[in-house]
Amino acid sequence: MSLLNNAAIRSKTGFWPNNRGTIIGVAVLAVIIAIVPFTASSSMMNIAVFSMIFALPAIGLSLLMGLAGQVSLGQAAFFAIGAYTHAILLQKFEQPALVAAVGGVVAAMLAALLVGLPMLRLRGHYLALATLGLGFIVMIAVREWDFTGRTTGIYGYGRPEVFGIPIDNNGLFFWFVAPFVLIGLVLALNLTRSRAGRALSSVNDSELAAESLGVNTYALRVKVFTLSAGFAGLGGVFYAYQVQIVSPQVAEFHVSVELLLMVVIGGLGSVWGAIAGAFIVELLSEGLRELIPAIIPGATGEVQLIGYGLVLILVIILLPGGLYQVVKTAWAAIRRRMGKRADAASRPVPDGTADAGAGDVPTRAFGGLPGESAASAGTEGLDDTTDAAASAPRIPTVSTPIAAGEPILEVTGLTKRYGGVVAVDDVSFTVPAGRIMGLIGPNGAGKTTCFNMITGAIAPTSGTVRFLGNEIQGRKPHVGAEAGLTRTFQNLQVFSSTDVVGNVYMGRYRKGRAGILRGMLGLQGREQYTHEEVARDILDSMRLGDVAGLAAGDLPFGRQRMMEVCRALAAEPALLLLDEPMAGLSGHERELLATLLRALRDAGLTIVLVEHDVAQVMALADTVAVLDDGVLIAHGDPESVRNDPAVIVAYLGTDAEEAEAELKELEEQS
Amino acid sequence: MHRVQRRLLVPAAVAASIALALTGCGASNFGGDSGGDGASEEGPIKIGAVLDITGVGANLGVPEQNTLNMLAEQLNADGGIDGREVELIIKDNQSTEDGAAKATTQLIENDDVDLIIGSSRTGPSLAMRPLVEAAQVPTISVAANAAIVDGSEWVFKTAQNDLVVLERILDDAESKGYTKVALVRDATGFGEGIADIITELGEERGITLTATESFEPSATDFTAQMTNIRGADADAVIIWGITPSAGLAQAAYVQLGVGKPVYQSHGVANDAFFEAAGPAADGVIAPMGRLLVADQLADDDPQKEVIDQFIADYSAEFGSSPSSFAGHAFDAWLVGTQAIEAAGTEPEGLRDAIEATTDLVGISGIFTMTPDNHSGLTADALIMALAEGGRWTLYEE
Amino acid sequence: MTDFLQLTVAGLSQGSVYALLAVGLIATYTVRHVVNIAQGDYATLAGLGSISLVTAGLPLPVAILIALVSVTLASVLIERLVIARVKNLTTLVSIILTLGVSTLLQAIMLLIWGAEGRRLPAFPGNDLTLGGVSIRSQELWMLGALVVVGGGVLLFYEKTRWGKALRASAEQPVAARIVGISPAVASVIAFAIAGFVGATAGVVSSPIYLSIWSGGLLLGLKGFVAAVLGGLVSFRAAIVGALLLGIIESYVAGYVASGWKDAVAFFILIIVLIIRPAGLVLRPNAVRV
Repeated sequence: MSLLNNAAIRSKTGFWPNNRGTIIGVAVLAVIIAIVPFTASSSMMNIAVFSMIFALPAIGLSLLMGLAGQVSLGQAAFFAIGAYTHAILLQKFEQPALVAAVGGVVAAMLAALLVGLPMLRLRGHYLALATLGLGFIVMIAVREWDFTGRTTGIYGYGRPEVFGIPIDNNGLFFWFVAPFVLIGLVLALNLTRSRAGRALSSVNDSELAAESLGVNTYALRVKVFTLSAGFAGLGGVFYAYQVQIVSPQVAEFHVSVELLLMVVIGGLGSVWGAIAGAFIVELLSEGLRELIPAIIPGATGEVQLIGYGLVLILVIILLPGGLYQVVKTAWAAIRRRMGKRADAASRPVPDGTADAGAGDVPTRAFGGLPGESAASAGTEGLDDTTDAAASAPRIPTVSTPIAAGEPILEVTGLTKRYGGVVAVDDVSFTVPAGRIMGLIGPNGAGKTTCFNMITGAIAPTSGTVRFLGNEIQGRKPHVGAEAGLTRTFQNLQVFSSTDVVGNVYMGRYRKGRAGILRGMLGLQGREQYTHEEVARDILDSMRLGDVAGLAAGDLPFGRQRMMEVCRALAAEPALLLLDEPMAGLSGHERELLATLLRALRDAGLTIVLVEHDVAQVMALADTVAVLDDGVLIAHGDPESVRNDPAVIVAYLGTDAEEAEAELKELEEQS
Repeated sequence: MHRVQRRLLVPAAVAASIALALTGCGASNFGGDSGGDGASEEGPIKIGAVLDITGVGANLGVPEQNTLNMLAEQLNADGGIDGREVELIIKDNQSTEDGAAKATTQLIENDDVDLIIGSSRTGPSLAMRPLVEAAQVPTISVAANAAIVDGSEWVFKTAQNDLVVLERILDDAESKGYTKVALVRDATGFGEGIADIITELGEERGITLTATESFEPSATDFTAQMTNIRGADADAVIIWGITPSAGLAQAAYVQLGVGKPVYQSHGVANDAFFEAAGPAADGVIAPMGRLLVADQLADDDPQKEVIDQFIADYSAEFGSSPSSFAGHAFDAWLVGTQAIEAAGTEPEGLRDAIEATTDLVGISGIFTMTPDNHSGLTADALIMALAEGGRWTLYEE
Repeated sequence: MTDFLQLTVAGLSQGSVYALLAVGLIATYTVRHVVNIAQGDYATLAGLGSISLVTAGLPLPVAILIALVSVTLASVLIERLVIARVKNLTTLVSIILTLGVSTLLQAIMLLIWGAEGRRLPAFPGNDLTLGGVSIRSQELWMLGALVVVGGGVLLFYEKTRWGKALRASAEQPVAARIVGISPAVASVIAFAIAGFVGATAGVVSSPIYLSIWSGGLLLGLKGFVAAVLGGLVSFRAAIVGALLLGIIESYVAGYVASGWKDAVAFFILIIVLIIRPAGLVLRPNAVRV
């Protein structure tokens, strides 16, 4: 049993164990902050001050990159908007300092919300480049606008006193800004562990799966983008306060590059790393400005850029996980050593496999675009040896919004065309509640396309999909999911960055309510524990309790599939769509699943399954629909479908006799 | 692995880096010994300088830096001021306003300087003004715009006022019978407000401003601006900028065949102008200090001796002749150190001493400051120069 | 009207530089799915290099030739030392990575050539004035370079067996292998082409726009905007887009305010990305190989 497994099982109860790391870390940092002004030299103090200021936008960017998996090359824009707003409110409108400061943050967030709404529909590198463009536009706008003081900027507003204390030196300013950085840090750490944070990190593993569990990816991304801008705006406010002039230079591209560098050095998505990165970049910048001219006489200008360029390249090539990865690896080595001494039996966890719900969520940005990462197939060493035979599993809760027999899903005229090719042609059927419907058809018949249109993964060319009376065709998967429509995937979509229980926990997403704000404030612990308990119960009932703490990607293929079913069930759906759930399962897993599905049906759950294994479907389903070449050729109870000549011809080939023989075989099987 | 504890490591690493970074020299980060406004009367005299050493203003800042370093060395070699050594602390503002503000804050809060020189250009100088006024540190800018000193108690400057420069240009234009001028100006602080001054001064002389265009100091393509100027109804054109952009603008102006006489500002009073403009520079008229035409000065010129000495010293040290910006730095140093010699480093006394500067012969002119006049130069400080064959020649209108 | 034409001429010549850079960007993007932020720095590098060679006394054509070859090699070197070192290089990572390359190149240029902009002597030819519109001979050289080099790359990619295989190598490595191009070789060739095209843009534009260490970034980004107008795949659309961009910038500078000129490209970028990510290409599917 691995250490991780122990930890996962032991933790999650109580405030202290769950927050110990953050509390101790913040306490250590707070002590350092208290001491630094007494001991640092004046030039070092200056570096410390600016690293604190820039740590704020860096934390914001690390949230954006780590959580939302989005790279912004225009973070300086929001930094600048915060700084300008603060300066203008002080200087031109003579507002109180607090109003000006809040105004700066709000302005940055508003701006982010406005541009984020259209821009966050873009993905990956397109978004990165759009933010880059935004950065340039903001820089040029403040440079050309009279209101923002053109090239000279806004100055002459002085430093307002704080509680009657004039902040007129670096030491006091450092103490003034540091608590905000600490609070920002705690908020950011809380967020990464919250419901929303874990949802976003799932999005990075598989956007499709997360959406199918009710995660509104776009809305969450917009929120994180806005939040990230809020951090940048706060940094800008402090910058304006400290420097007492805001000029277009704060919006320049190289500021965005510096911020990006901080996050990359620190370790993508690691909030602690962002702070360390801020300090390192400031130190690097000052150091190189002294060093390079000493080595190369006559060197002037932004010579520190040579360090930026080199470090950026080297980190990405040699150390894609940044400082965070170094520390993690080193710590693993220490643990290994200590662990050997303490417990010879404990074995180390393979590096980088699991990072469930911890304070730092490694981003997918460097691993592949969201949704690209597929589940890894079964790994060795974790054979399914627990034999519980086919004794009936306990039944997870299901929701039954309407009476059995009432139509829960109505598909009318569903059509999908790709160019000239018609993949699904005018398909209509109704699924009554509390029944199992099987959707079968030869390869390429359009089953999965049909499935994807029902769940919202793709938009139909025409036709309607009604779920519980509401039209959901063409809407994102989370729309149906929120209403109680959940699915599994033919090609597994496990969240590989978290453990098994973390995957199933994500199934509970739809049942939770805590948003980003509550997540940041850490006010959702109880809710989270409850959901984790439910997730554990479901795993136990499906005989997966023993692997709950393992990295999801480490499970054998069959158990990953079962885990996906658990995940879907955790959402307490009213309609469960299973895409080839039997594929890759062992004989007794199939039996277990079939038993479970019947039990769930009896409990009132409606199930639609696409299946290759015709015999299984015939045995399991109450009704069967047959697709051939995109056309629905038969729909009825298994018996009538089995005898439908059109089905026999389409499904089993044109040779009637051969078909007859195959059909016999099928009948014998069932 | 206990993931909770793993998270402790990053802060531990931060702690380690900071611990390494601590020098333990125990410098106070809570302000100077007397809050920045009552510098010590003992120990070395601290003069800070904030200059555009890198970035777009490097053409100005580098010779200024050279000059100050040279003069500080000379002064200390001669035993300093009243036996006190002069410590010169030069900071680069990277030609940016916030760079200037940061550097000034450091000079005031950490280095506790008695006098500040800088910045090289108007924007950064304006950025410094509120800081030095709040901290009450006498400051001498080497930039030109009158707004730097207007109404200020603590800020002085040694470069010729824009107003005076424009007076000379418009006087010349009037004498040639021009009634309409067009302006192509620097988009930064150096060029801001110039159009208003021209309109105001032009009124008395019957000259109207018919078109205004602007360019960034980093611009390289001026086709759009010069095309508009070509279409403008004007007898002469004023190009107002610093090198190299003003030189490039001049080249584009000639290339597009605008063909009207050009006045440039004192911002082009260096050789870099000729490098940027090439042969297009020929025929340009610009008001500037006497430094650039030192070899053509009359022997009885009151400034000749000071200028010749400066050129000799500077050339011996740096292998090239000084630009007028070097001259502004020389004058700032001269005004500052003379005042310290007279009144010591107590801020108000020092300020009063600078305001009492009378008939001080410098490079850019002869300085007479008063509490109301923190610029100290009159139109006499300027001569008109003509660009001819890659150098400036004294131009008699 | 004269002014309008004058601004159009200025816009076209500026646009020809963007077009060459866009061609370079597409050359690498189609093969490697890399967005090379350092593309514009190739131009400044070639410009500054040739200026030094001319200053050292070499004849202009020789200096230019050496600069073109060197930058082409530098681009290949960057591909081998940096780009090829990253496993699973996504487009997003490539942006961050080449941003690092660009920053490094700029710093090196700053250290070697200093902060001042420098100018290459104009190529031979006489400036002319047509109906009041002044046209610099250098501007004709720039457009000529676009036609010859940009057109050459376009024909290579679209008409030759090798070029087609090169384009296919990103999506169909097998098809590329049939023609005998391994993905590694394809990548090197693409970067060589990008280096050469970028360098060409740098030397032909240096006599007018000067070469300054920091100038490449913005140039490259505008080339990228043009490439986006071509959906990142179509050379033709990108070239048309680049010329349009140059002209629009010129009009904005002339009729609106010169300071806003540089913002135009980024407004276009954001709007195009949001509204029509496939760019100006009419039938995106038909263009993708």
